[in-house]
Amino acid sequence: MDGQEISFETAILSQPQTVGSQQTLTANYQNQSFDGLRIKIITSRFPELNYGDFVRISGEISNSNRGLLMYFPKIETINNSSSILQSGLRSINILRQKLISIFSKTLPSPSSSLLLGIIFGIKEQMPKDFNNNLRTSGVFHVIAASGMNVTLVGGFISTFFAFFLRRQIAVGLSILGIIFYAILAGLEPSIIRASIMGILVFSAQIMGRQTLAINGLALAGVGMLFIDPTLFSDVGFQLSFAATFGILYIKPLFKTKNGIVSEILTTVAAQIATLPILLTNFGLYSIYSVLVNGLVLWAVPILMMIGGIGAILSLILAPLGKLLIYLCYPLLLYFETIVNISGKLGGILIIKNFPWQLVAGYYCLLVSALLIFKRKS
Amino acid sequence: MKKTFLILSILFFLLGCILVYQNINYDDKKLHVVICDVGQGDAIFIRTPGGSDILIDGGPDDSVLACLGRHMPFWDKTLEVMILTHPHTDHLTGLIDVAKRYAVLVFGTEKIVNPSSAYKELIKQLEQNHTQQKFLYQDDQFIIKDGISLKTLWPTQEWVDQNSAGGNSNENGLSIIELLSYKNFEALFTGDAQASDIEKIESMLGVIDFLKVPHHGSKSALTEEVLDILNPKIAAISVGDKNKYGHPTAFILNLLKDKNIKTLRTDQVGDIEIISDGKVWKIK
Repeated sequence: MDGQEISFETAILSQPQTVGSQQTLTANYQNQSFDGLRIKIITSRFPELNYGDFVRISGEISNSNRGLLMYFPKIETINNSSSILQSGLRSINILRQKLISIFSKTLPSPSSSLLLGIIFGIKEQMPKDFNNNLRTSGVFHVIAASGMNVTLVGGFISTFFAFFLRRQIAVGLSILGIIFYAILAGLEPSIIRASIMGILVFSAQIMGRQTLAINGLALAGVGMLFIDPTLFSDVGFQLSFAATFGILYIKPLFKTKNGIVSEILTTVAAQIATLPILLTNFGLYSIYSVLVNGLVLWAVPILMMIGGIGAILSLILAPLGKLLIYLCYPLLLYFETIVNISGKLGGILIIKNFPWQLVAGYYCLLVSALLIFKRKS
Repeated sequence: MKKTFLILSILFFLLGCILVYQNINYDDKKLHVVICDVGQGDAIFIRTPGGSDILIDGGPDDSVLACLGRHMPFWDKTLEVMILTHPHTDHLTGLIDVAKRYAVLVFGTEKIVNPSSAYKELIKQLEQNHTQQKFLYQDDQFIIKDGISLKTLWPTQEWVDQNSAGGNSNENGLSIIELLSYKNFEALFTGDAQASDIEKIESMLGVIDFLKVPHHGSKSALTEEVLDILNPKIAAISVGDKNKYGHPTAFILNLLKDKNIKTLRTDQVGDIEIISDGKVWKIK
C-alpha cells in the first residue's frame, strides 16, 4: 500500500480532531479488492471539516507502525444534502457548534474546553498544552463521552418524563435521548459502546428483564465489529472495551464500601486492563495517574450535571444557563490546576516500542488470574 | 437533596471568592503589558487601566487563549482592539481561535492580500461577529479614555501602495509597528519588522521604556544605531524553545547585553508581564 495514490469519496462519520495547526480524521476507504481500510488523515486546520460532511479525498497513502496514513491529501467537500442521514447529522452538528460557541464565549480557555469535553466529549477545542497534560497525567478519559454520560442522560430523561408519562414511554424517550446524545458527542467508539450498553439496560426495563452488563459489552463489541471490522485497530475502541471489561471483572475482586476507595479502585481496575494498550499506543505512563484520578474524578459527575443542565438552559433561558456554567468555574479551575501541576511534575515512564508479544502475554496472564479468582468464588 | 444544596452553596461561595480576587487582581487601574508565551510566534496582550483589552498578534496556535485566560478576568470576553501586524501564520493563527471565543470590536491590519486559508478563516470569523475592520497606516491612533494611546508608526500609505502593488507581499518589511503610551510610559511593538524599517521612522522615535525585539531576535532585527535611539530599559524576545530558525541570534543578544538592556525571553520565563501606573513600571 505504501506510496500508492488513491482517490475516494466518503462521509465523515465522527468528528475530526484539531490539535495545534493540524486536523486529523479517520476515513473508511472502500474498494472492490479489499473489505475496507481505515486511514488516518492528517491535514491543515483550515478549512474545518465536520461530521456529516461528504468529501472526496485524493492523495498518497503511507504505511506507519500505527496503520495507514495520508498526509495533507486534497480534500474537496461534496454537497450531497439529499441524504437523510447526512442532513440529520448536519442539523445535530449545528446544535453542537452552537453549544461550543456558548461555552467558549462564557468561560475562558481551557476551562470551557474542559467542560465541553466532560459533558459532551467534545475535544476539538482543547488547547494543545492542556491536551498534552491531560494525556500525560492519565485523565484523558474524562473528556471522552462514555458510560457515565450515557447513564446521566438516560437517567435524567427517564426520571423527568416519568412524572407525567407512562414509565415505558419515559424509558423509550430516554433511549432516543441516548441516541441523540451519542450523535451530538461525535460518534466516537467509546460513546457508541456506552450507548449500546445503555440502551440495552433501558430496554430491559421496558421488557421487565434483567441484563448482565458483560452481555451488553460483548453484544456492543460484536455488533460494532460486524458493521466496521477495521474498528478493531482503533485505539479509542480498544481502550473503551478494555476499561469497561476491567471495571466489570477486576474491580469486584476488591470488596469495599468506602466511596473514595471504590473510586480509586475503579481507576486501578481500568488501568490494569488498559495498561498495555496505553503503552503501545502512547508509549507513556504517569506514575501519578492513580493519584491525579483520585483527586479529580469526584468532580466529574458534578460538572456533568450542573454543566449539562446549564447547557440545556442556555438554549432556552440564556442568563440562567450562563450562571450554571459559571458555577462550574471553581471546580474547573481546581481540575486544571491539578492536571497542570501533574503535567509539570512529570513522573512519566516512557516506553518505546512495546512489543506485541508482551501485550498478548500480559492479557493471557490477566485472563488466567481472573479465571482462577472466578473459580474460587 | 441536602447534598445538592451543600455542593451548590460551596460553588457559589468559591465563585464569589474568585470574583473578588480577580477584580482586585485585574482591575487594579494599572496598565498591564503581557508578552504571551506562545512558542515560536508573537502574541502581545495589553490590559489598560480602565479594563479595555488589546491584542497584538495571536501566535502560531491556540496557546494565546490560555494566556488571555491567565491575564483577563473570567467574565470579560470582549477585546476592544485586535491587531495583526502581518499575516504570517506564527502571528495569525491564534487570532482565529480568539475571534471564535471573544467579541472583537475593532480589527486592524495592514493592507495586504493574503490568499491563505487561515487568513480567509480569520476574516470569515470577524465578519460573522460584525467586527469593524480597518487598514492601519502611519499616524492612525487608537485613543482610550483612560489615557492610553496606541499609535501606528509604520507603514505609511505611500509605502504600502508602492511596495505591494495589489496589496500582495510576503516581506516581513511590511509589518506594522505600534507605539503604546500611557503618561510617561512608552512601549514599542515591532512585529516582524527589520532594523531598516525602524530606521525609516527614526524621526518619530525617542527613548522608550519597553521594546518588543522585532522578528523573534533575528539577525537583521536591530542595529546599534536603532538601540541608541530607543535606549529601552527592558526588552522582550518572543521566541520558541529550540526553534528551527536559530532565533534569537547571538548577534542580537550580544547587542542588547553590550547596551546593558535587561532582556527577557518567553522561551526561558514564559509570559512576560510589565505593570505600569504611567510613572514607574515593574516586571511581575
